[in-house]
Amino acid sequence: MTAHETRLAVEDFVYREADLLDRWKLDEWLALWEPECTFEVAPTAEFDPETASPDSALFLIADDRFRLEQRIVRLKKDTAHIEFPHSVTRHLYGNVIIREDTAETVKAQVSFVVFRTKRSITNHYMGHSLYTLVRRPGGGFGIKSKRAILDLEGLVPQGKVSILL
Amino acid sequence: MTWTTPYQSRFLRIDPQKGRFQVHRSAYADPAVFAEEKGRIFDRTWQVIGHESEVKAPGDFLRRDVAHRHLIFLRDRNGTVQAFFNTCPHRGAQICRERSGNRRTFACPYHGWVFRNSGELLNQNTQFGYGPEFNDDGRYNLQKVPRLESRAGFYFVNFDPAAVSLDEYLADAGERLDLFTYHSPAGIETVVGVHEYQIKANYKLLCENSYDGYHLESTHASYVEYMMTVNKGIDLSQIGGRAVSFGNGHACFELRIPTGRPLAQPLPYWGEEATREIEAKKADLYARVGPELGDLIANTNRNMIIFPNSVINDQQTILLRNIIPVAHNEMMVRAWAFGPVDESPLLRKVRIEGALSFLGPGGFATPDDVEMLELCQLGYENRDAEWNDISKGFHVGENSLRTVDPKYNNELQMRAYWTQWDKLMTGGQPQMQAVAAE
Repeated sequence: MTAHETRLAVEDFVYREADLLDRWKLDEWLALWEPECTFEVAPTAEFDPETASPDSALFLIADDRFRLEQRIVRLKKDTAHIEFPHSVTRHLYGNVIIREDTAETVKAQVSFVVFRTKRSITNHYMGHSLYTLVRRPGGGFGIKSKRAILDLEGLVPQGKVSILL
Repeated sequence: MTWTTPYQSRFLRIDPQKGRFQVHRSAYADPAVFAEEKGRIFDRTWQVIGHESEVKAPGDFLRRDVAHRHLIFLRDRNGTVQAFFNTCPHRGAQICRERSGNRRTFACPYHGWVFRNSGELLNQNTQFGYGPEFNDDGRYNLQKVPRLESRAGFYFVNFDPAAVSLDEYLADAGERLDLFTYHSPAGIETVVGVHEYQIKANYKLLCENSYDGYHLESTHASYVEYMMTVNKGIDLSQIGGRAVSFGNGHACFELRIPTGRPLAQPLPYWGEEATREIEAKKADLYARVGPELGDLIANTNRNMIIFPNSVINDQQTILLRNIIPVAHNEMMVRAWAFGPVDESPLLRKVRIEGALSFLGPGGFATPDDVEMLELCQLGYENRDAEWNDISKGFHVGENSLRTVDPKYNNELQMRAYWTQWDKLMTGGQPQMQAVAAE
């Protein structure tokens, strides 16, 4: 693949990911992930969010595969009160930059703005995500890791990260 | 000091004979009450600002907001922990703009006045215009917060120069803070990072929620199911626990709940190495403090409120929450975690995992709390529906300010809070005083 083709393939992949999230197709979204994976959301205040480890610094979300699955299980219940009824979201992913491209994996930086609307109030979450994507046999990618780094000192006014970014 | 006869104030309606304890919703929803609280509550009570480990070296500073004030919390050149108003004595601009760092001096960005980190005015960035006696009484030094005192490494501020000492204010709650000094001979320290989030609700709703044992099974049904999946065999009906009211409105619930603690209750899914480490730490703790205190520290989870807005949770992690009132229907929450200075990377990981999965704004529980508090605040817009109820467990003869309820999931904690709050707001409760005089 040329560099151009890799970027187009990553863009296609994350656009589809964003679409699944906006349609709340959570099981299909989970199928994009590798059997061993990490999903993290980091705030920007007080440590370097690109290099810090959630084992020693306080992230907002630091899920392994098991907890990511449990997050999906929870979000599908009507007792996940914060998302009952589900909020309406729009995930805009763009500014895709390929950081590393090998035969097995691609590392990419993707900017995001996510709008979440509930009870007629819209909040937005903005930042960039660092992906490690595994090339799957037969084409396409699986997500090995995704770290969403918010351009926010605190969750003001969002108050929580109850959706997937 | 016991509730024996009916009592009514602007905010409380209490009928011990009928087992009713009600709070008027204007206390959460009326901007005029919020304005009144500034003077009667927040200008007079002690509020947490930070922990000694957050300003380890001389020059370490943090910008910190507490209720209605913007402060600088620091360790000065002499090694003394200080709190200053983040306001230039010259024309009032905030002099400190960074969240944290280490500085020998602070320079106001407006006219360039420079201050030592111990507060003294060093120079006014000019060759002329001021006489030699201009600052001979120190009036142009950085202004100190009137009172700054600590207990067990936790620093609190008070804006009332005549306030009682922190130790007197904390009453029996101080002994619960002291428990943290036994967690490790090396002391405890802050974990890097902070959770800051806004909630569109009155700050007292989160205070109540923070030690409300009654909402676990409904609000947190999905979290409980997650815990059951993680930790097979957990039996919620077997949770033992009690509520304690310590005096001056401080209270907690204390639970024996098998949800795991790095000190000292290992869970199988943390792995064998973690279990070995935790058992060793437990043995060390018991050897240092004896079985009685050791049991209280190692086997009990505790959610405590230091009246009016400082939350200290002692669970899978040690979590401090400063609940900052912003408006009658809006608060900011600042939550940060602590662990032993000499903690292994493995147990630190376990500790942080607990902070994230339950307590954080991206966790499986706190967002649902946020939803409930915002639903309450919306509910209060129906001003025709006037009263909240916190009667669970209430009975004739309860001394809400200082007693123990053997059930953690009654509502004694909130009655302790509101009894104190009403006392400060109205100066009332005459029959309590009359009973006390008998």
